Amino acid sequence: MSTSTTARRSARLAAIGLLAVGALVLSACGGSPEPVSTSPGKADPNADLTVGLVLEPTNLDIRHTSGAALEQVLVDNIYEGLVTRTQDNKVEDRLAASHEISPDGLTYTFTLNDGISFHDGTALTSADVVASYQTVKTDASVQGNTEFAGVAAISAPDAETVQITLTKPDQNFLFNLTGPAGLVFKTGDKTDLKTAENGTGPFTLQRWAKGSSIAFTRYDEYWGKKAQLAQVTFQYIPDFTAGVNAALDGSIDVLTAVDPNLVSQLKDSGDFAITTGRTTDKATLAFNNAKAPLNDARVRKALRLAIDHEALVEAVGAGETLYGPIPSLDPGYEDLSELVPFDPAEAKKLLKEAGQEKLDLTLTIPSFYGTTVAQVLVSDFAKVGVSLEVNRVEFATWLEDVYTNHDYELSFVLHVEPRDFGNWANPDYYFGYDNPEVQDLYAQSQAELDPAKSADLLKQAARIVSEDDAADWLYNGATLTAHIPGVSGFPKDSINSRIDLSGVTKTAD
Amino acid sequence: MLRYALTRGALLIAGLLVSSVIIFLTLRVFPGDVAQLIAGTQASPETVAALRESLGLNKPLPVQYGAWIGGILHGDLGTSQLSGASVGAELVEKARVTVPLGIMALTIALLIAVPFGILSAVMRGRSGGTSLNVAAQTIAAVPVIWAGMMLVVVFAQWLGWLPAQGFPRTGWTTPLKAFESLLLPALTIGIVEGAMLLRFVRSATMQAAGQDFVRTAAAKGLTRRQALIRHGIPAVGLSIVTVLGLQVAGIIVGSVVIEQLFTLPGIGRMLVADVGTRDLVKVQSELLVLTGFVLVIGFIVDLVHHTVDPRQRAEVD
Repeated sequence: MSTSTTARRSARLAAIGLLAVGALVLSACGGSPEPVSTSPGKADPNADLTVGLVLEPTNLDIRHTSGAALEQVLVDNIYEGLVTRTQDNKVEDRLAASHEISPDGLTYTFTLNDGISFHDGTALTSADVVASYQTVKTDASVQGNTEFAGVAAISAPDAETVQITLTKPDQNFLFNLTGPAGLVFKTGDKTDLKTAENGTGPFTLQRWAKGSSIAFTRYDEYWGKKAQLAQVTFQYIPDFTAGVNAALDGSIDVLTAVDPNLVSQLKDSGDFAITTGRTTDKATLAFNNAKAPLNDARVRKALRLAIDHEALVEAVGAGETLYGPIPSLDPGYEDLSELVPFDPAEAKKLLKEAGQEKLDLTLTIPSFYGTTVAQVLVSDFAKVGVSLEVNRVEFATWLEDVYTNHDYELSFVLHVEPRDFGNWANPDYYFGYDNPEVQDLYAQSQAELDPAKSADLLKQAARIVSEDDAADWLYNGATLTAHIPGVSGFPKDSINSRIDLSGVTKTAD
Repeated sequence: MLRYALTRGALLIAGLLVSSVIIFLTLRVFPGDVAQLIAGTQASPETVAALRESLGLNKPLPVQYGAWIGGILHGDLGTSQLSGASVGAELVEKARVTVPLGIMALTIALLIAVPFGILSAVMRGRSGGTSLNVAAQTIAAVPVIWAGMMLVVVFAQWLGWLPAQGFPRTGWTTPLKAFESLLLPALTIGIVEGAMLLRFVRSATMQAAGQDFVRTAAAKGLTRRQALIRHGIPAVGLSIVTVLGLQVAGIIVGSVVIEQLFTLPGIGRMLVADVGTRDLVKVQSELLVLTGFVLVIGFIVDLVHHTVDPRQRAEVD
């Protein structure tokens, strides 16, 4: 693995994120980001909400640990940044009352909201923001360090104002501030962040029973609109069936990441409303572009043509087809389905041309991903004369062999990060994809000041990546959530990376 | 006796030391490390390197080994590289599931093995004894995981008497629920281990039947069976103690599979998860504690033997 200086990344982990999402994987998308309201009753300000989740964070130190499981519960609930993102991935102000970007795209000026305090009672000032961001910039072990590579200076002209200067314009900088890199911590805090917290969010950490649950309590001194739940308990249930059972026996109010195959049980009970949320999960069948036989474009094309994507989505049970590297929630999305029609005959022809009529390939796949995808691929590939051997490995092994050492032919993982197109512009990333034109377009898109033009440049780059058959994007994952009728305002989209509970209510009964 | 205990004690310590080196080294052959896992796939090599440094993963192996063993000598099993939590505390917590499970399994195994083993020996040569023996042999050959699935099908799915998996979130504060959720897993291990133990009890009983003191008793006017029951069986008890030591090791190994199958939050499942996340310091300490446990049981069994059986004492001292 190696760095790309141009690529900026959202600082979220896939390692654990992938684990989390291994679970969340499937599910159909579409739909609006508005919260689902099914509750006619009156919201109870003393309500206690229990949410069932699949993957528990390994520790609570969001500064040093990456992982969707961690961000999902902590960001916006416990910790806050100057800006945050909405369910459909738009940036909006949070601790900042407003922000301004200079016409040259280099200077960001944020004005803080009034009355913000940390959970220990200390008032938050611009000095805390400066200190937090200086740490991100200077300490390589802190999440988001690479995203701050282009930061020239961070300063506080007065107690309410923070100014960040970049060395060159960066279209993704504000979005990156919505991740762990942008969170604000108290200057010189001695709290052990692995097990405790001192954030500014609407909830405080009440208790973490490792291996079982995390409980939050409403922070009554919160600077903004106070939470409408007195307490929230995240109950971790790693087994899908056990989660559904827990929902059915009434011990949880909301179940996230419902397995599409089990959703009918919840529906049939009549006690749950099911929502389908969009995600930026890209189920990526990576080809090792740097190594024979997959360095041959005809072979890559043939493999993509051989996959019946519609049938695959159906087998997975939820999600939508995706034919390029950018999902619909990210800037630069375009429907590229015309590039990869399902055409086994053409696939055979291409393989023959490439002299690979009898091809043996190995697919390396982390073991927590279920068997559906691999089974479909084995059968689709067999029809065009490619025999696929499936190599199931632990995630740590996948990280070492595939991700770090690039020792693989085909690989399958879900890439969950939003706006991670930069990986295709990084020739050192494990895809082994090296196209100067794509790298150039990506660099331009990041330097472009106008978001619409930037998105257009990304669109062009994404099309080239798909035309080059740099990988196959098997589907864009969706996430199913079940909740009892008394719960309203529970987020629906992108909840495998954010569960903002500030707008959630629950009725008394 | 003291000399014997000291010699055995020294052997125990040597055994632990050797195991610690083996555990430490074998874990190092795994590909992948915890730093990469914490940093994720979007991290730069600098981030991973900084993490590796702060976790001490880039130190030479002897230094890492020294730090680990040094901590253990001070009673500190270390902290998890992933969560920063104390390994000792988590072991104690998970033991609340695994130890009761082991005890229940062992009790079930003994309840099956001792009466039926003796019965099968006493009834040797008759159809009842033979069928008992054949049944035991068959059950002993069944993989634990398959036995578990069969029990789930019958008792959880068909009859609906017991939970198929999981452990109550409330833990032992709801003792009945906790007990219920351990019953199927304990039965699974207990039946399979019990069948193995049964065959041992049978042969030990038959062996005792051939001993001089049983024959003497028979010569004094007892029937063969009376002689066996009054004099032979107490002698069998001693050999059962030995085998029980081995059985405990079997149950620990069995619990890894069973806790996975029944999603019980015990030591076995923790171990599997920690290996998966390459939380090596934690895995090391966990394995060493388990190894130590088995070695200590062996030590105790030897001492008991030595104390109870006069013949052995004569040989050694």
